[in-house]
Amino acid sequence: MTAAMRRLVLLVGWIGVLAVVTAYTVHTLKLSTDLRSFMPPAQTADQKLLMEQIGEGPGSRLLLLAISGADEARLAEISRSFVAALRADPHFSQAINGEFDAGMLDERLLPYRYLLSSSFDEAPLDESVLADELSQRVEDLGSPAATLLKPLLPRDPTLEIMKLAERWSPPKAPLVRDGVWFSPEGEALLLVQTRAAGFDPAAQGEAIDAIHAAFDASRGAQADASLVISGPGYFTVLVNASTRGESEWLGRISTVGFIVLLLLAYRSVAVLGLAALPIASGALAGVAAIAAVFGTMHGITLAFGFTLLGVAQEYPIRLLSHRRAGETALESVRGLWPLLLTAIASACIAYLAFFASGVTGLMQLAVFTISGLLVAGFSTRYLLPRVLPAKFRDAADTPGLGAVWNWLESLPRPRWLPPLLLAIAALMLGSASTPFWQNDLAALTPVPQDLMKREGRLRAALGAPDVRYLLIVEAADAEGVLELSEKVSPRIDALVAQGAVGAAELPSRYLPSLATQRARQSRLPDRAALETMLASASADLPFRQGLFAPFVDDVETARSLEPLTPARFASSPIGARIEAMLVKRGDHWLGLGTIIGMQDPAAFDALATETNDAVRLLDLKGASESLVAAYRERILRAFGIAIVLLVATVFIAFRDLHRAWHVLAPMTLATILVLAVLRFGGTSLSLFHLVALTLAAGLGLHYALFFERTTPDAAEARRTLHATLVCVISALLVFALLAWSSLPVLRAIGLTVSLGVGFHFCLSILMARKGRARDAG
Amino acid sequence: MLPYLANAADIDAAALIGGLKRELPARTAYTEVRFSHMYDHALIARGELEYLGPGQLGKRVDSPYQETTTIVDGEVTLQRGKRKPRQISLERVPELEGFLRGFSALLGGDVAAVQRDFELTSSGDTSQWRLRLAPRDPRLKKRIDAIEVDGSADSARCFSILDADDDASIMLVEGLATATLPEPLTRRKVESACRGGVAAQ
Repeated sequence: MTAAMRRLVLLVGWIGVLAVVTAYTVHTLKLSTDLRSFMPPAQTADQKLLMEQIGEGPGSRLLLLAISGADEARLAEISRSFVAALRADPHFSQAINGEFDAGMLDERLLPYRYLLSSSFDEAPLDESVLADELSQRVEDLGSPAATLLKPLLPRDPTLEIMKLAERWSPPKAPLVRDGVWFSPEGEALLLVQTRAAGFDPAAQGEAIDAIHAAFDASRGAQADASLVISGPGYFTVLVNASTRGESEWLGRISTVGFIVLLLLAYRSVAVLGLAALPIASGALAGVAAIAAVFGTMHGITLAFGFTLLGVAQEYPIRLLSHRRAGETALESVRGLWPLLLTAIASACIAYLAFFASGVTGLMQLAVFTISGLLVAGFSTRYLLPRVLPAKFRDAADTPGLGAVWNWLESLPRPRWLPPLLLAIAALMLGSASTPFWQNDLAALTPVPQDLMKREGRLRAALGAPDVRYLLIVEAADAEGVLELSEKVSPRIDALVAQGAVGAAELPSRYLPSLATQRARQSRLPDRAALETMLASASADLPFRQGLFAPFVDDVETARSLEPLTPARFASSPIGARIEAMLVKRGDHWLGLGTIIGMQDPAAFDALATETNDAVRLLDLKGASESLVAAYRERILRAFGIAIVLLVATVFIAFRDLHRAWHVLAPMTLATILVLAVLRFGGTSLSLFHLVALTLAAGLGLHYALFFERTTPDAAEARRTLHATLVCVISALLVFALLAWSSLPVLRAIGLTVSLGVGFHFCLSILMARKGRARDAG
Repeated sequence: MLPYLANAADIDAAALIGGLKRELPARTAYTEVRFSHMYDHALIARGELEYLGPGQLGKRVDSPYQETTTIVDGEVTLQRGKRKPRQISLERVPELEGFLRGFSALLGGDVAAVQRDFELTSSGDTSQWRLRLAPRDPRLKKRIDAIEVDGSADSARCFSILDADDDASIMLVEGLATATLPEPLTRRKVESACRGGVAAQ
């Protein structure tokens, strides 16, 4: 077999293995988008609840829909058929548009109205109450509403169904026109609750597609009618798409730039393709390792992992730049290997700290990065040299490189520069006035201002519950939750009256406690008593004899009903709502009350104190921020250990304090400078900044390691510079572009890495050891 | 059929409605007889009807109970005895809004507005005519068969609301409002009174 043949076989084999691994991972790996799997274990009770409720709270699963673009009557028509389509769709647990829905209590549950309604709590159903109600019905039958009421009357002369419908309608009901909800701006409004969690972009995406499909079917010929969707789930999908869209777009530009750069640097198309193999192998190995170990991978792990794996692009570049005449690629890589191995080993050992963090997301990140770096490194060492073409251009001969080298070498390297920079950095850090940490993750992926405004407008028009607050009612069992929420509901009403909150919905709004239901049952008259009081109450009224027999039957049935429990109630639409408001947590139950229009959260403090925190306000934003802070603490601890491990590895590799110092000092100072510049510019740091700093430090380690290596050979020194310049420019190509992004999350990563690359490069040159060979030519 | 054909030219529905227009505010006493399958005898209510302009109607019941209903642009205010007035927005029940809009247009003599919500037919002659307003809205159609107006020359005698379930509410107005009701009080007798039967007695 000729050398060329051997190269080809190896290459085909390599690509073949990559293809098999790809097939394996595509088959096994599930990509999760649920934020929770990337979160640390919750500590406090509120955090635990948050982890369960994040995105699943009743408020965050709501989508607000507005239809416009036709006249009122047509919009109302569309709204009616739209809501019917959505109710039939399994993606949604609730869809309402303001229509009076007499089917709220199904036929089977109708007798329960005497247990659910509070009408006879103050005055029991007796002759005088009945006489008053019946004479009102005579009056009703002479009113415009007569035709609506007539079908209900024989069964329900006291109109309990209407009273319950009123009780169960949203506490701040929107305007109704033509029978359905409208905004003051004239859009038809609907409210749907998804079954999927609000912060699960994939599931929310499906729900939103289903909404669009239902809308297209409902609007029929009204092509001008258009639909607007708003709500947390929609924003999750939107932000996800725009982040992906923008990073793909920037990625394409930087890929083109990267290709041009490599072509300019190595003048070979074949080399360009081959140089991509190690990092592709590394990435695939990382994903496959996660598929094998964890089975599912979080989207954030993937994004962070790919970012951190960017370091591995250095490995083939080092090899390519350091090839020289009279030496095979294999021989070149052997010369570089000690340094490369130090770089790979120190990074991998540092990432072990992430594995020890105990947070699934971080452990995945460690597995991904470590296996990725190892595979990229070892394939650069053992595979890449064997497939590279024998012909190459010596990078040392690149025109102008010698001049750059001479200029860099002639730069003054004052000993006072590092301490001065450190002092400046300290000043900049000290003078920053913004908070050091950004705990609000949402601030990194903000929703455009106009959409936020629209959300606020629709939420106000619909009286939809607040996403941020939940009113927690805690008790030993579901019955206890209902009893407690009955007990505190006058207090909540008082808070509403004093303006602390627009409205609040407690579970007892939909289902009274068993105790209350039994009390109501026991006060209902028996058949004989009811018939007697009915006869005398309607003596002077025109109602015909026996008209109210269905009413008498229902009351009699209600007297012996087994009271409604959440489980028994679950099959009806209202029951589904109560089910969503009651959650079992370990050995106790929580009621989740919704809040509408929070004005003064502090006003709920007294209630919490009195009930020993059994009734308390949960600030989901506060809880999630405390969770992020706790999470960051773990990451920082992991970083601390990682730094110690890294320093130890470098010292062990060099077995020379002085040399190790010359590698670690520029890295440390550059990292401090990046922090200082970011903070001075008013940036509050987030997890994304930390990941970016880590990547930059990894790159900086390479620059420092290679510049630290003194060589008597001027050409070899130029090759080092060539490799480093290609690495620096390629990193800047990718990350400086990200720094221009409109999305804070991409900007955070881009700006941090770009600054890092710049500082690390400059400092690793300026702080390198003296006494290296100068270029004679 | 021949007399009908001969008279058809004389009674133009549009002209009849135009003729119903009164100077504002227009008020008339009424006697309402309600026949319902829920009642074992007809209910008689008396009071005053009021028309204050487009979209503004008032109905006062003096006996057997006290009630004042005012309708202004789709907002119904109901005041019963000494209770607090109740506001009902007709937006929730669009079919009722159409019904009242038509009724108000009828009293205002606005033919075009009546025809938007109702199909209009007429019969009889100028001395004894009948207008029939059948709702166009299918939802209202499920509740109401028609509104019928009986009258002679340019004054109405009766407004009848015929429910889909065969209940009916017949309001005798103007001259008939104070007339003695037929005995026994059956729907047929009241209807024939509307067609001039009482006057003929």
